[in-house]
Amino acid sequence: MPLASVYANDWLAIPVLLAVVVGGVYLVSVLDELFGEVVSGSRPNLGRSLRLPVRQAALLLCQSATRTEHPDRILWPVAPAAYAALAAAGMAVIPFAEGFAVADVRTGIVVFGAAEVLTFVAVYLHGWSANAPLALIGGYRSLVQGFSFMLLSMFVLIGVALPARSLSVGQIVEAQSGLWNVVRHPLGLPLFLVVGLGAALWGPLRLPDSRELAGGTVGEVSGPQRLAWEFARRAMLVSYAVMAASAFLGGYLGPWLPGPVWLLGKSVAMLAVFVALGHLVGRVRPERFMAQAWTVLLPLSFLDILIAGVEALP
Amino acid sequence: MAVSRLARLAAAAPVPVFAALGAGARGPVEELTLSDDVTLVDSPRHATVLLVVGAVPRSLIRPLSQVHDQLAHPRATAWWSSEEATLDPLPQATLIRAESDVVLAVGGLHAALLRGERASELDVLPDEPANPWRGLGANGQGGEGMMGGTPYGRPMAMTGEDRDGLPLDQLHLRLGPFLPAFPAGLVLDTVIQGDVLQECAVVGNPFERDELLGGALTATPPDPERTLAAMERARARHHLHGVARTLRLHGLDALARRTLALAMAPPDDGDRVRYLAHRLERSTALRWATEGVGRIDPSAAEAVGGIVARAAGWSSDARSDDPVYAELGFTPIFRHGSDAQARWRQRLAEAAQALDLAAAAGERRSDGAALELPWGDDDADRRLLDLLPGLLTGQELGDAMTTLDSLDLDLERVARAVARTERA
Repeated sequence: MPLASVYANDWLAIPVLLAVVVGGVYLVSVLDELFGEVVSGSRPNLGRSLRLPVRQAALLLCQSATRTEHPDRILWPVAPAAYAALAAAGMAVIPFAEGFAVADVRTGIVVFGAAEVLTFVAVYLHGWSANAPLALIGGYRSLVQGFSFMLLSMFVLIGVALPARSLSVGQIVEAQSGLWNVVRHPLGLPLFLVVGLGAALWGPLRLPDSRELAGGTVGEVSGPQRLAWEFARRAMLVSYAVMAASAFLGGYLGPWLPGPVWLLGKSVAMLAVFVALGHLVGRVRPERFMAQAWTVLLPLSFLDILIAGVEALP
Repeated sequence: MAVSRLARLAAAAPVPVFAALGAGARGPVEELTLSDDVTLVDSPRHATVLLVVGAVPRSLIRPLSQVHDQLAHPRATAWWSSEEATLDPLPQATLIRAESDVVLAVGGLHAALLRGERASELDVLPDEPANPWRGLGANGQGGEGMMGGTPYGRPMAMTGEDRDGLPLDQLHLRLGPFLPAFPAGLVLDTVIQGDVLQECAVVGNPFERDELLGGALTATPPDPERTLAAMERARARHHLHGVARTLRLHGLDALARRTLALAMAPPDDGDRVRYLAHRLERSTALRWATEGVGRIDPSAAEAVGGIVARAAGWSSDARSDDPVYAELGFTPIFRHGSDAQARWRQRLAEAAQALDLAAAAGERRSDGAALELPWGDDDADRRLLDLLPGLLTGQELGDAMTTLDSLDLDLERVARAVARTERA
């Protein structure tokens, strides 16, 4: 069958995708608050955690936009929009159930990779267009950080494409009906999670927006534009969680329950891992991280693709 | 109707507060991170309330006004101080007395702003360039080609050799005095290339010879009449505060809150602090971020004294000579490394030791001789400040912040040391 799913573009999938993005962003915020309370040793308050994201979003909507001296008035608000759009574009190639995706194209993981690369353009523009020094330094950092792990992602994704003999995410999921990729070549998932943290400026890789830069690229932004940026970062995290679930954990495949429920469960688990990493792993030092990314992580991704290649031999 | 519903939701959100630190303000402000109803934000752009804390030197009023004008609307200013005075350029500021509930007061301001019961504060400074446009050329682009010229009185970035031998733009940047990661009042004039501090100079100390407006929230000099147990618990609190600050700087907010909770209610002995230290020492990211960063030459570290010396392999501690401490079996802890990592580990180890000492001390008092202060001796900060430019120059900005955070520098203590010398 799988060939049929390759061009199965379902218009109904678009509202579903938007719902996944919005729901996922909300879930990330709730999980983040709950994990923060657990790690800080206070009793988690579910009611408060459920209400908090809504209240904070409302506050940002009530806040005025601020203005720096000679910002780039066009690119500044475009940056968060582009960032969120890239997250949605990356997710569009992932099927939510068998044959149900916005665009499960034959070159799915290439589209996902292209969206990921452009992410760094969005982050850099966000820092650059504020016309403020600390935001600009945040923009510089995003490029440095991006160069050091962007290659990882492609090697890891090619690793999952090999056993499927296809670049389509639908085919990659179907190829895991016997065995999930996380078991077949276990290096892939952890490396992919590192890329996800970087693309979403999350936790240890939140260098462009870090605290010692007084917020970095988002440091000069307030009101609805800041809401858009924080939304986009979380949307990117959701996009990576759904991709990780599909590429390594068998996506919508699973017994007894309907496919979308499986995908939802696996994606939420991945989001929980991202959020936990954010609270337990400190900000990495850019210099040290770059060195490790090139000398340890990149060779590991070669090893991953080697394992996948040998395993995929007939 | 819809708008007011949104505003009601917004009024119920935790208050984003940007804290502008004056003297004796750091500890009380950090304790606000434990509250569910207040969020300390990194940038004034993210705040609804500008919380000015402690005694503010008059010379910082202008930068304070600049910070004020950076807040988005709706906004309000509150001044949390132990003494009443006026912040005359910020006449709209609401005074919050040291002893009152600051979270409640700030929450009241925030809710009133969003419900429209209180008008948002207007700009203090005129919204115009600080200097006239002085660029040359048709587009004001300045001197040679794309470079040169002084638009708005600021020189355009010119290239200079960087550490890799590449000509890169140099950015002249003044950091402080209200950068959240900085000690109160510190201002650095820097030249930055990319992420690297090429030059770095300390711009005065606003706490020296300057009129202070309002009063500090915490009295710093330790009371010699107190019991040894109370002094040691205060030492543990001081160090745990410092470690919590380090964790916050490295993005570990939840762990910072856990550490701060230990500082607020010190346990009966050092075991929980040692457990925390054990867990943090296993964190690879924290090790990467601090290992080898801000290394101080051991002989210079010895001259500074305190934690800085004991994290550089010296066992110097004024408590060693005290008979009461000898009776308790006190021996100084020290370690090698002399970097930011050695210093946060040293602080945790000394916090645990201090709690053990407090548990063993009972009602003992020391004879009142000058004992080791949590920050070394009275002059330690002055010696540190002298080391600072040399230490930060050549570092990446993130590493420079890590270094600065590891030093426990306080410009108000520097000012007191200077005043003491002048009197003598």
